[in-house]
Amino acid sequence: MKKGNQLSRKIFGRFLRAIVVAFWVMVLSFALIRIAPGDPASTKLGIGAEKEAIDLLRKQLHIGGNPISQFFSYLGDLIHGNLGASLQTGVKVVDIINRTLPLTIYLILLSTLCALLLSIPIGTFIGWSGKGPLVYGFRGITAVFLATPNFFIAMVGILFFSVRHNWAPVFGYDTAFPKNLHYLWLPVVVNTIIMTSVISRVLYSSVTETKDQEFVETGIIRGVSGRRFFWFYILKPSLAPTVVLLSYMMGTMLGATVILETIFSLPGIGREMVGAVLTSDYPLVQGILLYFGAITVFLSFMGDLIAYLLDRRVKI
Amino acid sequence: MSAEPLVVIDDLKIDVRLTRANRLPIVDTATFSIDRGEIIGLIGESGSGKTMLCRALVGTLGRRGAYIAGGKLTFDGIDLVTAKGSAWADIRGKRIGYVPQSALAGPNPVMTIGAQLEESILQDKEFSKGNVKARAIELLNIVQIRRPEVVMHQYQHELSGGMKQRVMIACAIAQQPELIVADEPTTGLDVTVQAEIMRLLLDIRSEFKTSIILVSHDLPLVNQICDEIVVMHAGSTVEKISSRDITRANHPYTRALYDSRIDLVEPKGELTTINGQPPTVGNWPVGCRFSERCNFVEDRCRLPQVLPIIPIGPNGFSTCLRFNELEK
Repeated sequence: MKKGNQLSRKIFGRFLRAIVVAFWVMVLSFALIRIAPGDPASTKLGIGAEKEAIDLLRKQLHIGGNPISQFFSYLGDLIHGNLGASLQTGVKVVDIINRTLPLTIYLILLSTLCALLLSIPIGTFIGWSGKGPLVYGFRGITAVFLATPNFFIAMVGILFFSVRHNWAPVFGYDTAFPKNLHYLWLPVVVNTIIMTSVISRVLYSSVTETKDQEFVETGIIRGVSGRRFFWFYILKPSLAPTVVLLSYMMGTMLGATVILETIFSLPGIGREMVGAVLTSDYPLVQGILLYFGAITVFLSFMGDLIAYLLDRRVKI
Repeated sequence: MSAEPLVVIDDLKIDVRLTRANRLPIVDTATFSIDRGEIIGLIGESGSGKTMLCRALVGTLGRRGAYIAGGKLTFDGIDLVTAKGSAWADIRGKRIGYVPQSALAGPNPVMTIGAQLEESILQDKEFSKGNVKARAIELLNIVQIRRPEVVMHQYQHELSGGMKQRVMIACAIAQQPELIVADEPTTGLDVTVQAEIMRLLLDIRSEFKTSIILVSHDLPLVNQICDEIVVMHAGSTVEKISSRDITRANHPYTRALYDSRIDLVEPKGELTTINGQPPTVGNWPVGCRFSERCNFVEDRCRLPQVLPIIPIGPNGFSTCLRFNELEK
């Protein structure tokens, strides 16, 4: 009984910390977009606009005046679940996010799934039984992909698959499930390559560390073998760092999609954010960053939790 | 029960593969046998090859790139030199239990103590999911763990060093093996805990008639519970002697090991040490490998030669050329 309580208290504590982090993300996103150069009113009215017209528009958009009072009115709206509307188009921020977020989530989840399906066998196999040339080859290839920026891999991909062979579309999207894969597969491949390089590398080094430990030897001598041995003596003791890293990477992938969606002209939330920043669309940037922050915080919370459930030595 | 010893090790050689062509001997000329129900202490400094000898007994040399290069190793008549996977599957865990080095290991960190015990028990087809839990608790009681129901649900990092080692012993005896290989089971534990673990091993022997091979570098400690002591130095067994006769050992190395003990009851004043460092693997001197550190050395000890194994008494032997000149 006592144990269960301890665990739930730990999880609750970690959850509270996550909420605090999410709050600061919100504050920062509010401040950053205002510190950044650019003014939504003059952007909307064009270069030659009169000063009076700009001031009037600022007032109408509720972005004039003291930033502190602006913040509190934003906070008040937020508590009521109101993210405001785009300054440029007047569309509600929630609607924009609902329209663009699914694509990005598809992109990230598919890449994560593919990366896991590749990394777990590669990382454990090379970590457990790899020797000589196989290990050098593995380390070399992953190092190359780790050092290459994703947009470069993306452009090579476009050049090869879209320009030369016409296997992948260069723009456009279809939101319906199986059809969207036609537009998503190349960006997913690019993401998968990068994630696989990182994750298989981390798993590889965890497994090489695990396999020399005495409890593995003891397990072999105890007579454990087959699938049971693979799970309890190789994969499970090695998985915690990978899970934590994976949750962190899925968060950074949100940032990476800003670039990927721009290159592949995909109408996802990343590209939406680029547009919002360029036009100083305060509510939209704040709303998107809030979502990004909340998702990242949630992912890292889940990552820590799963790592802890796999391996009780992990601190949460 | 046959009169044949349970384990026979005869002129065993173990090499480690450095590269494809380059091999390094880490054990050669290891010779001794273990009778049923006997506790043997395998003593030596680090690098003497005692751990590798244990690995040969449980068939995990391959994990460290080592292999048996020659000689004889049998367990109850089964040739372990040529044993394949299926033969090992019948021996490991079931007929030979293993207690790992205390300093390094302990139970699997991602399984509860109960899960590991049940895993060990379920290797035996006689047990099913229904009666495995009762047996696990029974085993924890045998190794004198208090509140076994609680410990079953704990992980290894929640246990003390002594408790971990008791759990490892419980796992090792789960199948009632005929032989337990205990590789430095008490190194790094408190002195009082060391004594408790030693006593536990003694109890297990008298209750289950298990043979135990106890690896250690602590001769005085091990001498208290062993029947026979086998001393290894630089990859070879240099002496086998009954533990009662340890003060009258027939090899200068055994004497030096015994004399370098720290006597807490009657402090001897200055501590005795052994000259020099143990020769490292690959740099063994010719002739007697202890010659460079030995106080009784003569010129003939340093000649290139294969040292004779001189039988002394019913079970013992010594490889010292001057054994009969040693002061008794």
